[in-house]
Amino acid sequence: MAGWGLLGRLGGRLWAAAPGRPLWAAGAAAASGDRRQLGFVVRHVNSTTWWHEHLSEENVQFLKKITAEEYKAQTASKLCPLKDEPWPLNDWKPDSIRVGVVAVKLGMMPIWTKSGKKHAVTLLKVQDCHVLRYISKEESGGKTSKLLVGGKNASPFFKSESAMKIFKEAGVPRKQKVATFNVTDDAIIKPGTPLYAAHFRPGQFVDVTAKTIGKGFQGVMKRWGFKGQPASHGQTKTHRRPGAISTNKAAKVYRGKKMPGKMGNIYRTSFGLKVWRINTKHDIIYVNGSVPGHTNCLVKVRDSKLPTYKDCNKNPPFPTFFADGDEKLPEDLYDKEIFQFTDPSVTYA
Amino acid sequence: MAAACGRLLPRSAAAGLAGLTLTAARPALPGRCFSSSSCRISSDGKPAKFQPPPKPVIIDRQKQREERRFLSPEFIPPRGRTDPLKFYIERKDMIQRRKVFNIPEFYVGSVLAVTTADPYANEKANRFVGICIQRGGKGLGATFVLRNVIEGQGVEICYELYSPRVQAIEVLKLEKRLDDNLMYLRDALPEYSTFDVNMKPVSHLDHEEIPVNKLQVRMKPKPWSKRWERPKYNIKGIKFELPEKKMKEAQKWSQPWLEFDMLREYDTSKIEEKIWKEVNEELKK
Repeated sequence: MAGWGLLGRLGGRLWAAAPGRPLWAAGAAAASGDRRQLGFVVRHVNSTTWWHEHLSEENVQFLKKITAEEYKAQTASKLCPLKDEPWPLNDWKPDSIRVGVVAVKLGMMPIWTKSGKKHAVTLLKVQDCHVLRYISKEESGGKTSKLLVGGKNASPFFKSESAMKIFKEAGVPRKQKVATFNVTDDAIIKPGTPLYAAHFRPGQFVDVTAKTIGKGFQGVMKRWGFKGQPASHGQTKTHRRPGAISTNKAAKVYRGKKMPGKMGNIYRTSFGLKVWRINTKHDIIYVNGSVPGHTNCLVKVRDSKLPTYKDCNKNPPFPTFFADGDEKLPEDLYDKEIFQFTDPSVTYA
Repeated sequence: MAAACGRLLPRSAAAGLAGLTLTAARPALPGRCFSSSSCRISSDGKPAKFQPPPKPVIIDRQKQREERRFLSPEFIPPRGRTDPLKFYIERKDMIQRRKVFNIPEFYVGSVLAVTTADPYANEKANRFVGICIQRGGKGLGATFVLRNVIEGQGVEICYELYSPRVQAIEVLKLEKRLDDNLMYLRDALPEYSTFDVNMKPVSHLDHEEIPVNKLQVRMKPKPWSKRWERPKYNIKGIKFELPEKKMKEAQKWSQPWLEFDMLREYDTSKIEEKIWKEVNEELKK
């Protein structure tokens, strides 16, 4: 009876096609109609349209030009935060936690110390970093107040108006990544202040958080480092499998059992990385070792919370480094131990 | 002969190629009599016009030196999605090091002597002479491997070009070989890797072309560390004494489509020019 019903509907549709109408239209309508009733058509939650679908070419070009100029004007207006009624600047205390920075991972490079040892460093560029919003302790419901910081300008056309609200209130261009920093109340900064690489100094230690490189769905050997099984000696179709997943007595599989699944593309932090060098002209931080994430990804950099490095992070620029302040820094700031290429070759006396 | 003048005939050739017939007669090159000045009488009997001697050819050594541009291979950035700013920052450091310390021009196949600082040596400095068999790495981490046979033992040392511990790099013999990678010297007879430790530098004039040593090296009996006869290594500097059958069998692993693969092409000519200009300007300062 059900089959007859389907066939009947099919037939009805075909006969509905008047001799004049092409058969393929009826066929397509019939097919889609059937699929909808059988539930095979994918439902789209978002509307399939893009921002300039209903705009003319001239208007699109005009909007692009206008946003570029607006971005330039906004960045220029935020260049002198100290003259713009800044929030009260306090002194650094040993238990103050100050804000961090959002940077772009450029790549890696070797550096040498004065004793001739080689270390690998990652270059992090602080690109268009602005403070976006201040959330007080009561508002956030946490233990400390929070500061939202954004890095690297991006296009405003692909986000909804509600998402763009934060950037409009702060008066800055739309940022690609927004990071939250828990800060103490004496380290709060007015939204719209730009942050630079000179916020950090050589010799201090930082923690860097970023999303790791996504590896997709991976097996148990790559994801958890299992040993697998031998390649030969009678193994039947078992070379990279997990083997046993639980014991007999347990009679169940424990929660959190290491099994194949999606690997990577999660936030991870590298703790206690030494800052070797700061380039103030291009706003680049040279951080020891490797950092999670691929090249050109956005990372969150903050002062290390490890207790071993509490002494090394004393007296930083507090609450942040202001470019229009009194301090004029040279183009490159080096750590004491690092070998600068202006010096002659290393000798052991 | 006096009448016979050196005259080129490009007209007919050009016309033939283009398939056109030139109506306007192209002026022929002035006929030059390369005979001695004594027979100045042409075939007519009248005295021939005075022909000035041919202009001297001036070879500008300075220009030749400039035209022969050498950009060290570690300056050329690898293909990838890295920001060019990162390469620029690295290049600034490399140029800074080159201003303080001279890194000479050398190729794979040249004989070098490198002095490094060594805390455990007698004079706190260590000198090693060898032939450069490989140049690897890009940017500040660029390396080169020197090979020599000392007291019957083959020794290879990999040095970093920009390491602060190297105190001097001298080129004892500047030359190129037929290949970019001389790793096969490990399986060649030891005489091809032995170089005198107290060798005197061989002088090389600035303007001359780098000599290419077309030496074909004789190998030790097989097995080798790598199957050098296979086409993937593309080695021209070995005198293969293997039977024909083995050489033909090695061609089974050839991949003739690789040279036509357009995605593998990486044209560095424009990048090289830009970087060469930048590096030269910075070094002159």
